[in-house]
Amino acid sequence: MAKIIVVTSGKGGVGKTTSSAAISTGLALSGHKTVVIDFDVGLRNLDLIMGCERRVVYDFVNVINKEASLTQALIKDKRTKNLFILPASQTRDKDALTIDGVQAVLDELKKEFEFIICDSPAGIEQGAQMALYFADEAIVVTNPEVSSVRDSDRILGILQSKSMRAEQGKSVKEHLLLTRYNPTRVESAEMLSVADVEEILAIPLLGVIPESESVLKASNQGQPVILDEEANAGQAYADAVKRLLGETVEHRFLEAEKKGFFQRLLGGK
Amino acid sequence: MTDTCFRMKGTTLTSIVLEVIGFEPDKFESQLADKVASAPQFFTRSSLILHLATGLSATEFELLVALCRKFNLQPMAVRGETEGLKNTINDLGLADVSQSKFTESTLKSPSSSETEEAVAAQKTPVSKPPSAAQLKPAKVVSRPVRSGQQVYAEGSDLVITAAVSEGAEVLADGNIHIYGTLRGRALAGVKGNAQARVFCQSLDAELVSIAGQFIMHDKVKAACWKQPAQIYLEEDTLRIEPIA
Ligand SMILES: Nc1ncnc2c1ncn2[C@@H]1O[C@H](COP(=O)(O)OP(=O)(O)O)[C@@H](O)[C@H]1O
Ligand SMILES: [Mg+2]
Repeated sequence: MAKIIVVTSGKGGVGKTTSSAAISTGLALSGHKTVVIDFDVGLRNLDLIMGCERRVVYDFVNVINKEASLTQALIKDKRTKNLFILPASQTRDKDALTIDGVQAVLDELKKEFEFIICDSPAGIEQGAQMALYFADEAIVVTNPEVSSVRDSDRILGILQSKSMRAEQGKSVKEHLLLTRYNPTRVESAEMLSVADVEEILAIPLLGVIPESESVLKASNQGQPVILDEEANAGQAYADAVKRLLGETVEHRFLEAEKKGFFQRLLGGK
Repeated sequence: MTDTCFRMKGTTLTSIVLEVIGFEPDKFESQLADKVASAPQFFTRSSLILHLATGLSATEFELLVALCRKFNLQPMAVRGETEGLKNTINDLGLADVSQSKFTESTLKSPSSSETEEAVAAQKTPVSKPPSAAQLKPAKVVSRPVRSGQQVYAEGSDLVITAAVSEGAEVLADGNIHIYGTLRGRALAGVKGNAQARVFCQSLDAELVSIAGQFIMHDKVKAACWKQPAQIYLEEDTLRIEPIA
Protein backbone atom coordinates (compact mmCIF):
# COMPACT_ATOMS: atom_id res chain seq x y z
CA MET A 1 0.00 0.00 0.00
CA ALA A 2 1.36 3.37 -1.02
CA LYS A 3 1.63 5.90 1.76
CA ILE A 4 0.98 9.58 1.14
CA ILE A 5 2.95 11.80 3.50
CA VAL A 6 2.58 15.57 3.51
CA VAL A 7 5.41 17.77 4.74
CA THR A 8 3.68 20.83 6.13
CA SER A 9 4.10 23.66 8.65
CA GLY A 10 1.84 26.64 8.22
CA LYS A 11 4.77 29.00 8.45
CA GLY A 12 7.14 29.55 5.54
CA GLY A 13 10.91 29.19 5.54
CA VAL A 14 11.02 26.61 8.31
CA GLY A 15 12.55 23.82 6.25
CA LYS A 16 9.71 21.96 4.52
CA THR A 17 11.39 21.72 1.15
CA THR A 18 14.76 20.88 2.70
CA SER A 19 13.03 18.14 4.71
CA SER A 20 10.96 16.83 1.78
CA ALA A 21 14.12 16.46 -0.29
CA ALA A 22 16.09 14.80 2.52
CA ILE A 23 13.37 12.42 3.63
CA SER A 24 12.35 11.29 0.16
CA THR A 25 16.01 10.68 -0.65
CA GLY A 26 16.43 8.74 2.60
CA LEU A 27 13.40 6.56 1.89
CA ALA A 28 14.68 5.81 -1.60
CA LEU A 29 18.13 5.00 -0.23
CA SER A 30 16.48 2.48 2.08
CA GLY A 31 15.12 0.74 -1.00
CA HIS A 32 11.59 2.18 -1.10
CA LYS A 33 10.34 3.48 -4.40
CA THR A 34 9.54 7.11 -3.65
CA VAL A 35 8.18 10.14 -5.46
CA VAL A 36 8.34 13.67 -4.10
CA ILE A 37 5.80 16.21 -5.38
CA ASP A 38 6.22 19.98 -5.26
CA PHE A 39 2.84 21.49 -4.31
CA ASP A 40 4.30 24.97 -4.06
CA VAL A 41 2.94 26.06 -7.43
CA GLY A 42 4.38 29.40 -8.44
CA LEU A 43 7.53 29.14 -6.35
CA ARG A 44 9.11 25.93 -7.51
CA ASN A 45 11.89 25.25 -5.06
CA LEU A 46 12.09 21.52 -4.77
CA ASP A 47 13.79 20.93 -8.11
CA LEU A 48 16.55 23.37 -7.10
CA ILE A 49 17.19 21.58 -3.82
CA MET A 50 17.12 18.24 -5.65
CA GLY A 51 19.46 19.63 -8.31
CA CYS A 52 17.24 18.78 -11.25
CA GLU A 53 15.96 22.22 -12.25
CA ARG A 54 17.49 22.02 -15.71
CA ARG A 55 15.71 18.79 -16.45
CA VAL A 56 12.20 20.12 -15.84
CA VAL A 57 10.14 19.98 -19.02
CA TYR A 58 6.62 19.24 -17.86
CA ASP A 59 5.22 19.79 -14.43
CA PHE A 60 2.43 18.82 -12.01
CA VAL A 61 -0.05 21.29 -13.54
CA ASN A 62 0.64 20.01 -17.06
CA VAL A 63 -0.25 16.52 -15.87
CA ILE A 64 -3.43 17.70 -14.16
CA ASN A 65 -4.45 19.57 -17.33
CA LYS A 66 -3.61 16.47 -19.37
CA GLU A 67 -1.05 18.43 -21.38
CA ALA A 68 1.54 15.79 -20.51
CA SER A 69 1.51 12.27 -19.17
CA LEU A 70 2.83 11.43 -15.75
CA THR A 71 5.70 9.51 -17.31
CA GLN A 72 6.70 12.59 -19.27
CA ALA A 73 6.62 14.84 -16.22
CA LEU A 74 8.32 12.61 -13.65
CA ILE A 75 12.04 13.25 -13.32
CA LYS A 76 14.20 10.33 -12.32
CA ASP A 77 16.79 11.35 -9.76
CA LYS A 78 20.32 11.08 -11.08
CA ARG A 79 22.03 10.14 -7.85
CA THR A 80 19.53 8.05 -6.01
CA LYS A 81 17.87 4.92 -7.30
CA ASN A 82 14.10 4.52 -6.64
CA LEU A 83 13.60 8.30 -6.46
CA PHE A 84 11.42 10.49 -8.69
CA ILE A 85 10.47 14.14 -8.62
CA LEU A 86 7.24 15.72 -9.83
CA PRO A 87 8.09 19.42 -10.12
CA ALA A 88 5.77 22.38 -9.72
CA SER A 89 4.99 24.95 -12.33
CA GLN A 90 6.53 28.37 -12.05
CA THR A 91 4.09 30.08 -14.35
CA ARG A 92 0.77 29.12 -12.79
CA ASP A 93 -0.93 30.15 -9.64
CA LYS A 94 -2.21 27.96 -6.85
CA ASP A 95 -5.71 27.69 -8.33
CA ALA A 96 -4.24 25.52 -11.09
CA LEU A 97 -4.50 22.57 -8.70
CA THR A 98 -7.95 21.01 -8.38
CA ILE A 99 -9.01 18.32 -5.93
CA ASP A 100 -10.09 15.99 -8.73
CA GLY A 101 -6.95 16.64 -10.72
CA VAL A 102 -4.68 16.01 -7.74
CA GLN A 103 -6.58 12.88 -6.82
CA ALA A 104 -6.24 11.45 -10.33
CA VAL A 105 -2.48 12.01 -10.29
CA LEU A 106 -2.10 10.53 -6.80
CA ASP A 107 -4.18 7.49 -7.75
CA GLU A 108 -1.87 6.83 -10.66
CA LEU A 109 1.25 7.31 -8.54
CA LYS A 110 -0.07 4.94 -5.89
CA LYS A 111 0.14 2.08 -8.35
CA GLU A 112 3.88 2.65 -8.83
CA PHE A 113 5.27 4.01 -5.60
CA GLU A 114 5.58 3.00 -1.95
CA PHE A 115 5.94 6.54 -0.66
CA ILE A 116 4.45 9.74 -2.05
CA ILE A 117 5.92 12.79 -0.32
CA CYS A 118 4.02 16.06 -0.76
CA ASP A 119 6.04 19.24 -0.21
CA SER A 120 3.45 21.78 0.93
CA PRO A 121 3.48 25.52 0.30
CA ALA A 122 3.42 27.81 3.32
CA GLY A 123 0.19 29.09 4.83
CA ILE A 124 -3.00 27.43 5.91
CA GLU A 125 -5.08 28.39 2.90
CA GLN A 126 -6.05 26.56 -0.23
CA GLY A 127 -2.57 25.59 -1.45
CA ALA A 128 -1.56 24.05 1.86
CA GLN A 129 -4.95 22.39 2.24
CA MET A 130 -4.63 20.84 -1.21
CA ALA A 131 -1.23 19.38 -0.29
CA LEU A 132 -2.53 17.78 2.88
CA TYR A 133 -6.01 16.73 1.75
CA PHE A 134 -5.11 13.20 0.64
CA ALA A 135 -2.40 12.55 3.23
CA ASP A 136 -2.25 9.39 5.33
CA GLU A 137 0.48 10.87 7.48
CA ALA A 138 1.88 14.32 8.10
CA ILE A 139 5.34 15.52 8.98
CA VAL A 140 4.85 18.84 10.72
CA VAL A 141 8.01 20.89 10.33
CA THR A 142 8.46 23.32 13.19
CA ASN A 143 11.21 25.73 14.25
CA PRO A 144 11.76 26.19 17.97
CA GLU A 145 10.05 29.57 18.16
CA VAL A 146 6.61 30.66 19.28
CA SER A 147 5.18 31.78 15.93
CA SER A 148 6.23 28.61 14.18
CA VAL A 149 4.77 26.43 16.93
CA ARG A 150 1.49 28.33 16.76
CA ASP A 151 1.27 27.84 12.99
CA SER A 152 2.03 24.15 13.37
CA ASP A 153 -0.78 23.93 15.88
CA ARG A 154 -3.17 25.50 13.38
CA ILE A 155 -2.13 23.18 10.60
CA LEU A 156 -2.63 20.20 12.95
CA GLY A 157 -6.17 21.43 13.53
CA ILE A 158 -6.78 21.65 9.79
CA LEU A 159 -5.24 18.24 9.25
CA GLN A 160 -7.66 16.63 11.69
CA SER A 161 -10.71 18.48 10.41
CA LYS A 162 -10.32 19.22 6.71
CA SER A 163 -8.31 16.33 5.29
CA MET A 164 -10.03 13.49 3.49
CA ARG A 165 -9.26 11.08 6.31
CA ALA A 166 -10.75 13.48 8.83
CA GLU A 167 -13.88 13.78 6.70
CA GLN A 168 -14.11 10.00 6.74
CA GLY A 169 -13.85 10.00 10.54
CA LYS A 170 -10.29 8.67 10.47
CA SER A 171 -7.19 10.45 11.66
CA VAL A 172 -3.98 11.45 9.96
CA LYS A 173 -0.84 10.12 11.66
CA GLU A 174 1.19 13.03 12.99
CA HIS A 175 4.96 13.44 13.23
CA LEU A 176 6.84 16.38 14.68
CA LEU A 177 10.05 17.36 12.93
CA LEU A 178 11.85 20.11 14.79
CA THR A 179 14.30 21.81 12.43
CA ARG A 180 16.92 24.56 12.67
CA TYR A 181 17.45 23.54 16.27
CA ASN A 182 20.23 25.47 17.92
CA PRO A 183 21.04 24.01 21.36
CA THR A 184 23.21 26.98 22.33
CA ARG A 185 20.34 29.38 21.76
CA VAL A 186 17.99 27.03 23.60
CA GLU A 187 20.32 27.07 26.59
CA SER A 188 20.34 30.84 26.61
CA ALA A 189 16.52 30.75 26.41
CA GLU A 190 16.40 32.51 23.04
CA MET A 191 14.64 29.49 21.58
CA LEU A 192 12.13 26.96 22.79
CA SER A 193 13.47 23.58 23.83
CA VAL A 194 12.41 20.22 22.40
CA ALA A 195 10.44 19.63 25.61
CA ASP A 196 8.63 22.99 25.29
CA VAL A 197 7.53 22.29 21.74
CA GLU A 198 6.54 18.71 22.53
CA GLU A 199 4.46 19.91 25.44
CA ILE A 200 2.52 22.42 23.38
CA LEU A 201 1.96 20.34 20.25
CA ALA A 202 1.65 16.96 21.98
CA ILE A 203 2.49 14.81 18.94
CA PRO A 204 5.24 12.17 18.57
CA LEU A 205 8.72 13.47 17.79
CA LEU A 206 10.12 12.18 14.52
CA GLY A 207 13.40 14.04 14.72
CA VAL A 208 15.37 17.11 15.66
CA ILE A 209 17.48 18.62 12.88
CA PRO A 210 20.20 20.95 14.09
CA GLU A 211 20.74 24.36 12.55
CA SER A 212 23.68 23.75 10.28
CA GLU A 213 25.64 25.46 7.55
CA SER A 214 25.76 22.18 5.72
CA VAL A 215 22.10 22.73 4.76
CA LEU A 216 22.85 25.91 2.84
CA LYS A 217 25.92 24.31 1.27
CA ALA A 218 23.89 21.30 0.19
CA SER A 219 21.12 23.39 -1.32
CA ASN A 220 23.62 25.50 -3.23
CA GLN A 221 25.00 22.29 -4.66
CA GLY A 222 21.52 21.00 -5.46
CA GLN A 223 22.06 17.97 -3.30
CA PRO A 224 19.76 16.88 -0.46
CA VAL A 225 21.62 17.32 2.83
CA ILE A 226 20.97 13.71 3.85
CA LEU A 227 23.65 12.71 1.34
CA ASP A 228 26.21 14.64 3.40
CA GLU A 229 27.09 11.89 5.84
CA GLU A 230 29.63 14.08 7.64
CA ALA A 231 27.10 16.75 8.56
CA ASN A 232 25.08 16.46 11.74
CA ALA A 233 21.98 17.71 9.87
CA GLY A 234 22.43 14.91 7.32
CA GLN A 235 22.78 12.33 10.09
CA ALA A 236 19.77 13.69 11.92
CA TYR A 237 17.65 13.34 8.76
CA ALA A 238 18.92 9.77 8.30
CA ASP A 239 17.80 8.99 11.87
CA ALA A 240 14.40 10.55 11.20
CA VAL A 241 13.92 8.38 8.11
CA LYS A 242 14.70 5.27 10.16
CA ARG A 243 12.10 6.29 12.71
CA LEU A 244 9.59 6.91 9.94
CA LEU A 245 10.22 3.33 8.84
CA GLY A 246 9.53 2.09 12.36
CA GLU A 247 12.99 1.79 13.87
CA THR A 248 13.73 3.10 17.34
CA VAL A 249 16.68 5.45 17.18
CA GLU A 250 17.86 7.67 19.97
CA HIS A 251 17.72 11.43 19.38
CA ARG A 252 21.06 13.14 18.84
CA PHE A 253 22.39 16.70 18.61
CA LEU A 254 20.10 17.97 21.35
CA GLU A 255 22.87 19.51 23.42
CA ALA A 256 25.35 22.24 22.64
CA GLU A 257 28.76 20.91 21.74
CA LYS A 258 31.10 21.14 24.69
CA LYS A 259 34.15 23.24 24.11
CA GLY A 260 37.39 21.32 23.88
CA PHE A 261 39.90 21.33 26.72
CA PHE A 262 42.33 23.70 25.02
CA GLN A 263 39.57 26.02 23.87
CA ARG A 264 38.38 26.31 27.44
CA LEU A 265 41.92 26.81 28.69
CA LEU A 266 42.51 29.57 26.18
CA GLY A 267 39.08 31.06 26.74
CA GLY A 268 38.36 30.78 23.03
CA LYS A 269 34.86 31.01 21.69
CA MET B 1 -60.45 15.16 17.75
CA THR B 2 -57.02 14.31 19.02
CA ASP B 3 -55.23 15.71 15.98
CA THR B 4 -54.00 18.86 17.60
CA CYS B 5 -51.67 21.05 15.64
CA PHE B 6 -49.82 22.39 18.60
CA ARG B 7 -49.37 22.13 22.29
CA MET B 8 -48.46 24.87 24.68
CA LYS B 9 -45.94 24.34 27.41
CA GLY B 10 -44.23 26.45 29.97
CA THR B 11 -40.51 26.77 29.64
CA THR B 12 -37.60 28.55 31.19
CA LEU B 13 -34.94 30.26 29.20
CA THR B 14 -31.73 31.75 30.40
CA SER B 15 -30.56 34.74 28.49
CA ILE B 16 -28.32 37.74 28.80
CA VAL B 17 -29.72 40.92 30.24
CA LEU B 18 -28.32 44.09 28.78
CA GLU B 19 -28.88 46.82 31.30
CA VAL B 20 -29.02 50.23 29.67
CA ILE B 21 -27.79 52.72 32.20
CA GLY B 22 -27.33 55.70 29.94
CA PHE B 23 -27.81 55.92 26.22
CA GLU B 24 -25.47 57.97 24.11
CA PRO B 25 -25.55 56.27 20.72
CA ASP B 26 -21.87 56.71 19.78
CA LYS B 27 -20.54 55.73 23.15
CA PHE B 28 -22.98 52.85 23.39
CA GLU B 29 -21.97 51.55 19.98
CA SER B 30 -18.24 51.62 20.66
CA GLN B 31 -18.61 50.02 24.08
CA LEU B 32 -20.86 47.35 22.66
CA ALA B 33 -18.40 46.72 19.85
CA ASP B 34 -15.63 46.16 22.41
CA LYS B 35 -17.73 43.85 24.51
CA VAL B 36 -18.79 41.74 21.55
CA ALA B 37 -15.28 41.63 20.15
CA SER B 38 -14.03 40.24 23.45
CA ALA B 39 -16.06 37.06 23.00
CA PRO B 40 -17.82 37.07 19.63
CA GLN B 41 -19.09 33.50 19.72
CA PHE B 42 -20.53 33.95 23.10
CA PHE B 43 -22.63 36.96 22.20
CA THR B 44 -23.88 35.99 18.76
CA ARG B 45 -25.56 32.88 20.05
CA SER B 46 -27.42 34.48 22.89
CA SER B 47 -30.84 35.96 23.16
CA LEU B 48 -31.02 39.27 24.89
CA ILE B 49 -33.33 41.01 27.28
CA LEU B 50 -33.03 44.79 27.29
CA HIS B 51 -33.39 46.23 30.73
CA LEU B 52 -34.07 49.94 30.50
CA ALA B 53 -32.74 51.44 33.71
CA THR B 54 -33.35 54.84 32.21
CA GLY B 55 -36.28 56.19 30.19
CA LEU B 56 -35.71 56.41 26.44
CA SER B 57 -37.60 58.15 23.65
CA ALA B 58 -39.08 56.00 20.91
CA THR B 59 -36.36 57.05 18.47
CA GLU B 60 -33.62 56.30 20.97
CA PHE B 61 -35.12 52.92 21.68
CA GLU B 62 -35.31 52.06 17.98
CA LEU B 63 -31.67 53.02 17.61
CA LEU B 64 -30.72 50.91 20.60
CA VAL B 65 -32.38 47.84 19.11
CA ALA B 66 -30.84 48.51 15.72
CA LEU B 67 -27.37 48.73 17.26
CA CYS B 68 -27.83 45.46 19.12
CA ARG B 69 -28.92 43.75 15.94
CA LYS B 70 -26.01 45.24 14.07
CA PHE B 71 -23.70 43.30 16.38
CA ASN B 72 -25.73 40.12 15.89
CA LEU B 73 -27.28 40.24 19.32
CA GLN B 74 -30.87 39.10 19.39
CA PRO B 75 -33.08 41.33 21.54
CA MET B 76 -36.30 39.50 22.25
CA ALA B 77 -37.82 41.32 25.18
CA VAL B 78 -37.72 44.55 27.12
CA ARG B 79 -38.21 45.32 30.76
CA GLY B 80 -37.69 48.29 33.06
CA GLU B 81 -38.72 51.80 32.04
CA THR B 82 -40.97 50.88 29.15
CA GLU B 83 -43.53 53.64 29.76
CA GLY B 84 -44.52 55.31 26.50
CA LEU B 85 -42.68 52.74 24.39
CA LYS B 86 -45.50 50.16 24.10
CA ASN B 87 -46.16 50.78 20.41
CA THR B 88 -42.51 50.91 19.44
CA ILE B 89 -41.83 47.69 21.33
CA ASN B 90 -44.71 46.05 19.52
CA ASP B 91 -43.65 47.35 16.12
CA LEU B 92 -40.16 45.97 16.63
CA GLY B 93 -41.59 42.54 17.39
CA LEU B 94 -40.38 42.51 20.96
CA ALA B 95 -42.16 41.52 24.13
CA ASP B 96 -42.60 43.78 27.09
CA VAL B 97 -41.76 41.66 30.11
CA SER B 98 -41.65 44.44 32.68
CA GLN B 99 -44.29 42.68 34.71
CA SER B 100 -42.66 39.26 34.63
CA LYS B 101 -40.59 38.03 37.46
CA PHE B 102 -37.18 36.80 36.75
CA THR B 103 -36.03 34.30 39.27
CA GLU B 104 -36.40 30.68 38.31
CA SER B 105 -38.95 29.85 40.96
CA THR B 106 -41.25 32.74 40.16
CA LEU B 107 -41.54 31.73 36.53
CA LYS B 108 -44.25 29.33 37.55
CA SER B 109 -46.26 31.95 39.34
CA PRO B 110 -49.01 33.53 37.28
CA SER B 111 -47.96 36.83 35.91
CA SER B 112 -50.32 39.74 35.76
CA SER B 113 -49.79 40.31 32.06
CA GLU B 114 -52.00 38.15 29.92
CA THR B 115 -49.26 36.70 27.77
CA GLU B 116 -49.77 33.31 26.23
CA GLU B 117 -46.83 31.98 28.09
CA ALA B 118 -48.27 32.96 31.41
CA VAL B 119 -51.56 31.33 30.54
CA ALA B 120 -49.79 28.22 29.44
CA ALA B 121 -47.77 28.16 32.60
CA GLN B 122 -50.91 28.24 34.64
CA LYS B 123 -52.47 25.40 32.77
CA THR B 124 -49.45 23.16 32.61
CA PRO B 125 -48.89 21.08 35.67
CA VAL B 126 -45.79 22.21 37.50
CA SER B 127 -43.03 20.24 35.88
CA LYS B 128 -40.73 18.15 37.99
CA PRO B 129 -37.07 19.11 38.05
CA PRO B 130 -35.24 17.13 35.39
CA SER B 131 -33.91 13.84 36.68
CA ALA B 132 -30.37 12.78 35.86
CA ALA B 133 -31.62 10.57 33.07
CA GLN B 134 -33.10 13.55 31.29
CA LEU B 135 -29.87 15.55 31.21
CA LYS B 136 -28.27 15.95 27.87
CA PRO B 137 -25.02 13.98 27.99
CA ALA B 138 -21.79 15.95 28.07
CA LYS B 139 -19.96 16.45 24.83
CA VAL B 140 -16.63 14.62 25.05
CA VAL B 141 -13.65 15.62 22.94
CA SER B 142 -10.55 13.46 23.14
CA ARG B 143 -8.25 15.27 20.72
CA PRO B 144 -6.46 18.53 21.37
CA VAL B 145 -8.48 21.57 20.38
CA ARG B 146 -6.00 23.40 18.17
CA SER B 147 -5.48 27.06 17.42
CA GLY B 148 -8.24 28.33 15.12
CA GLN B 149 -10.68 25.62 16.15
CA GLN B 150 -13.84 26.02 18.15
CA VAL B 151 -15.92 23.49 20.05
CA TYR B 152 -19.37 24.27 21.44
CA ALA B 153 -21.39 21.96 23.68
CA GLU B 154 -24.93 23.15 23.22
CA GLY B 155 -27.22 22.42 26.13
CA SER B 156 -24.66 20.34 27.97
CA ASP B 157 -21.29 20.14 29.69
CA LEU B 158 -18.10 19.90 27.70
CA VAL B 159 -15.35 17.45 28.61
CA ILE B 160 -11.98 17.66 26.88
CA THR B 161 -9.40 15.02 27.64
CA ALA B 162 -6.57 16.91 25.93
CA ALA B 163 -5.18 20.42 25.76
CA VAL B 164 -6.88 23.54 24.44
CA SER B 165 -4.34 25.50 22.43
CA GLU B 166 -3.72 29.20 22.42
CA GLY B 167 -6.04 30.61 19.77
CA ALA B 168 -8.66 27.89 20.27
CA GLU B 169 -12.09 28.52 21.80
CA VAL B 170 -14.26 26.09 23.77
CA LEU B 171 -17.81 26.94 24.79
CA ALA B 172 -20.57 25.20 26.69
CA ASP B 173 -24.00 25.98 28.02
CA GLY B 174 -22.95 23.97 31.07
CA ASN B 175 -19.57 23.32 32.73
CA ILE B 176 -16.28 22.85 30.96
CA HIS B 177 -13.79 20.24 32.16
CA ILE B 178 -10.36 20.19 30.58
CA TYR B 179 -8.04 17.32 31.45
CA GLY B 180 -5.05 19.06 29.95
CA THR B 181 -3.66 22.56 29.73
CA LEU B 182 -6.07 25.38 28.96
CA ARG B 183 -4.09 27.87 26.87
CA GLY B 184 -6.98 29.20 24.80
CA ARG B 185 -10.40 30.59 25.66
CA ALA B 186 -13.02 28.78 27.71
CA LEU B 187 -16.56 30.13 28.02
CA ALA B 188 -18.94 28.23 30.29
CA GLY B 189 -22.61 28.96 30.84
CA VAL B 190 -22.75 30.92 27.59
CA LYS B 191 -26.54 31.16 27.70
CA GLY B 192 -26.39 32.74 31.10
CA ASN B 193 -26.04 29.84 33.54
CA ALA B 194 -24.21 31.53 36.40
CA GLN B 195 -23.71 28.17 38.15
CA ALA B 196 -21.47 26.91 35.37
CA ARG B 197 -17.79 26.41 36.08
CA VAL B 198 -14.56 25.85 34.23
CA PHE B 199 -12.19 23.20 35.53
CA CYS B 200 -8.77 22.55 34.09
CA GLN B 201 -5.67 20.56 34.87
CA SER B 202 -3.35 23.44 34.13
CA LEU B 203 -4.48 27.04 33.86
CA ASP B 204 -2.73 29.14 31.23
CA ALA B 205 -5.81 30.65 29.62
CA GLU B 206 -6.19 33.61 27.28
CA LEU B 207 -9.71 34.17 28.55
CA VAL B 208 -12.17 32.50 30.88
CA SER B 209 -15.83 33.43 30.98
CA ILE B 210 -18.79 32.33 33.07
CA ALA B 211 -22.25 33.49 32.03
CA GLY B 212 -20.82 36.47 30.22
CA GLN B 213 -18.46 37.67 32.95
CA PHE B 214 -14.93 37.20 31.85
CA ILE B 215 -11.31 37.65 32.81
CA MET B 216 -8.35 37.92 30.51
CA HIS B 217 -4.89 36.44 30.50
CA ASP B 218 -3.25 38.96 32.86
CA LYS B 219 -5.79 38.36 35.62
CA VAL B 220 -5.69 34.61 35.09
CA LYS B 221 -1.94 34.77 35.43
CA ALA B 222 -2.19 36.20 38.93
CA ALA B 223 -3.74 33.05 40.38
CA CYS B 224 -3.14 29.32 40.02
CA TRP B 225 -0.83 29.92 37.09
CA LYS B 226 -0.21 26.59 35.35
CA GLN B 227 -1.91 24.84 38.27
CA PRO B 228 -5.04 22.72 38.44
CA ALA B 229 -7.84 25.22 38.96
CA GLN B 230 -11.52 25.94 38.81
CA ILE B 231 -13.20 29.19 37.91
CA TYR B 232 -16.68 30.07 39.06
CA LEU B 233 -18.95 33.02 39.61
CA GLU B 234 -19.59 34.33 43.08
CA GLU B 235 -21.90 37.33 43.23
CA ASP B 236 -20.88 38.65 39.84
CA THR B 237 -17.18 38.18 40.52
CA LEU B 238 -15.11 35.47 38.90
CA ARG B 239 -13.14 33.43 41.37
CA ILE B 240 -10.13 31.33 40.53
CA GLU B 241 -9.41 28.59 43.00
CA PRO B 242 -6.84 25.80 43.09
CA ILE B 243 -8.08 22.23 43.02
CA ALA B 244 -5.90 19.88 44.95
N1 LIG C 1 18.63 22.72 9.55
C1 LIG C 1 18.88 23.87 8.91
N2 LIG C 1 19.99 24.59 9.18
C2 LIG C 1 20.22 25.75 8.54
N3 LIG C 1 19.44 26.27 7.59
C3 LIG C 1 18.32 25.61 7.26
C4 LIG C 1 17.97 24.37 7.91
N4 LIG C 1 16.80 23.94 7.36
C5 LIG C 1 16.45 24.86 6.43
N5 LIG C 1 17.35 25.86 6.36
C6 LIG C 1 17.31 27.04 5.48
O1 LIG C 1 16.08 27.72 5.67
C7 LIG C 1 15.62 28.26 4.47
C8 LIG C 1 14.20 27.78 4.21
O2 LIG C 1 14.20 26.39 3.99
P1 LIG C 1 13.12 25.67 3.08
O3 LIG C 1 13.35 24.22 3.16
O4 LIG C 1 13.08 26.27 1.72
O5 LIG C 1 11.80 26.07 3.88
P2 LIG C 1 10.26 26.00 3.44
O6 LIG C 1 10.13 25.00 2.35
O7 LIG C 1 9.56 25.59 4.70
O8 LIG C 1 9.88 27.38 3.02
C9 LIG C 1 16.58 27.83 3.40
O9 LIG C 1 17.47 28.88 3.14
C10 LIG C 1 17.30 26.66 4.02
O10 LIG C 1 18.61 26.54 3.52
MG1 LIG D 1 9.25 25.22 0.38
